[in-house]
Amino acid sequence: MPDLPLSNPIGFVRKRDWIAVVPARVLSGAIALISILLIWHIMSIAFRPWVPTIDATLMAMGRALQNHSFWDDFFLTLGRVLASFAAASIVGAVLGLIIGLNEKAEAFFQPLLALALAVPDPVYIIFSILAVGTGEMAGFLALTIAVAPFVTNIVRSNVHARDKSLDEMAQIYHLPRSVRLRSVLIPQLMPALLTAMRFSFALSWKLVVVVEAIGQPDGIGASIFNSFRLLRMREVAAVAIIFIIAMQLLERGVLGRVEKKLLRWRD
Amino acid sequence: MTQETRPSVLKAVNLGVTYGQSEAVAQLDFDIKRGEFVAILGPSGCGKSSMLNVISGLRAPSKGRVLVEDEELFTAQSKPPRLGYVFQSHRLLPWRTVRQNLEIALAASQVPRGTWEARIDEILSILHISQFKDAWPMRLSGGQRQRVSIARALLIDPSYILMDEPLSTLDEVTARSLRQELTGICQRTNATVVFVTHSIREAVYLADRILILTKGPARIFEDYKVPLERPRDYDDARIAEVEADIIRRVQAPWGLAMREESSVA
Ligand SMILES: Nc1ncnc2c1ncn2[C@@H]1O[C@H](COP(=O)(O)OP(=O)(O)OP(=O)(O)O)[C@@H](O)[C@H]1O
Ligand SMILES: [Mg+2]
Repeated sequence: MPDLPLSNPIGFVRKRDWIAVVPARVLSGAIALISILLIWHIMSIAFRPWVPTIDATLMAMGRALQNHSFWDDFFLTLGRVLASFAAASIVGAVLGLIIGLNEKAEAFFQPLLALALAVPDPVYIIFSILAVGTGEMAGFLALTIAVAPFVTNIVRSNVHARDKSLDEMAQIYHLPRSVRLRSVLIPQLMPALLTAMRFSFALSWKLVVVVEAIGQPDGIGASIFNSFRLLRMREVAAVAIIFIIAMQLLERGVLGRVEKKLLRWRD
Repeated sequence: MTQETRPSVLKAVNLGVTYGQSEAVAQLDFDIKRGEFVAILGPSGCGKSSMLNVISGLRAPSKGRVLVEDEELFTAQSKPPRLGYVFQSHRLLPWRTVRQNLEIALAASQVPRGTWEARIDEILSILHISQFKDAWPMRLSGGQRQRVSIARALLIDPSYILMDEPLSTLDEVTARSLRQELTGICQRTNATVVFVTHSIREAVYLADRILILTKGPARIFEDYKVPLERPRDYDDARIAEVEADIIRRVQAPWGLAMREESSVA
């Protein structure tokens, strides 16, 4: 490869100096965004009118953001997401702790857990609607049952993989049971717990939208589904995009910040 | 008071430890008195840590008995002993600062809360790690962490203290200073200490008595009373003499493991 400017590496680097000014993360983010917009643009030409154009969608987004009923749906859905996320996280974490620490509980719950993880989410949704009707409870129930097993599984396996030498230390120094749980076990699980929570948050909001589309008269999912029935594809795209961005901001902003704070003892 | 009339703190009777099929400790009998500093010497893998895990109450022996202050361990009614244990690895909680790690042990001890702060400050300064009081353990060096672990064991007014090679991760200069401090602390507090080490000179300098073990599975090879009065000087020729004497005795029974060490010593 005689043409490579190996003999003049400094000149070679010089040309790329401007890139060094932009942080790598921002750069790759920008490249990703541009690629998505490009693909979207091509698809909107290829699949007209089913894929809306970028500018039409942006305009629809602007309209939605100024619309009261959009915000009503948005906060309703957000409330449902947070409620089922909280319930699934708490139920899942507590169950995971119990199963991980207790062999009898493990023997009892393990097959159930395997089953729960294998059942496709729509099955939960359908059965919940059959069991408690299409009210607010059905979605909440379906979501909690669908998401909690993931949290349980992650917590359980991390309880098993805990550092037993710290348990011995706790035993030697007579740390009370509550302290062992709070200061020895749970901090060890924290990294996994936070991953589980991110995962369960993402799963929660996606499922809430599906549940709303199937069984609720209101909320973001219902609004997307209604627009779809009326073949108003730009509204479908606009509402979906706003909601996805909002959920991403929540996940990264809030959960990310919590993570930084709780794991600050790490390198 | 002569040694024989002092109360027994830690007594092992016909003690054995096996892991599944393999025997780690064959048979140990010893009686450690209040205020005694006993060093344990034995080739690597002979079962020293296994022995500490049993006499600390962590692991039931596969045979024999352990008595702490004349109360038998591992029976239904026995209370867990109150001891300090410097594990071979530091075993600090990485999500708690140095001070918080010490406080969590103090909180479970009988030490009155009003005295914690002063005690912590004192012990950290003795161990030359005062400046790390509010540091996360992950940001400390191996030797600094080990010293926090020593501080934790000394702070809680234990009936006895087990130390598993506590100074092996330190540079020689720091180790010397800590050996000296350790002698001082133990004399002032009349602590009962079981101290596992690979350094024969360290054992001779620190201990009243050295339990020399055989190759694994461990038995007592010799219960060796250190024939030196205190205070001692680490560079004293007599310490070197006693060290050489012990090396001569163990050379054959320790086999290969010893030949490596004697070439260093
Ligand atoms: N948890 C365990 N399970 C099975 N075997 C073990 C276990 N712990 C130790 N052993 C075995 O028991 C023997 C004694 O180990 P131990 O850790 O007590 O030695 P040691 O004298 O402390 O060695 P070192 O000086 O290297 O620390 C070794 O042969 C080791 O392989
Ligand atoms: Mg050991």
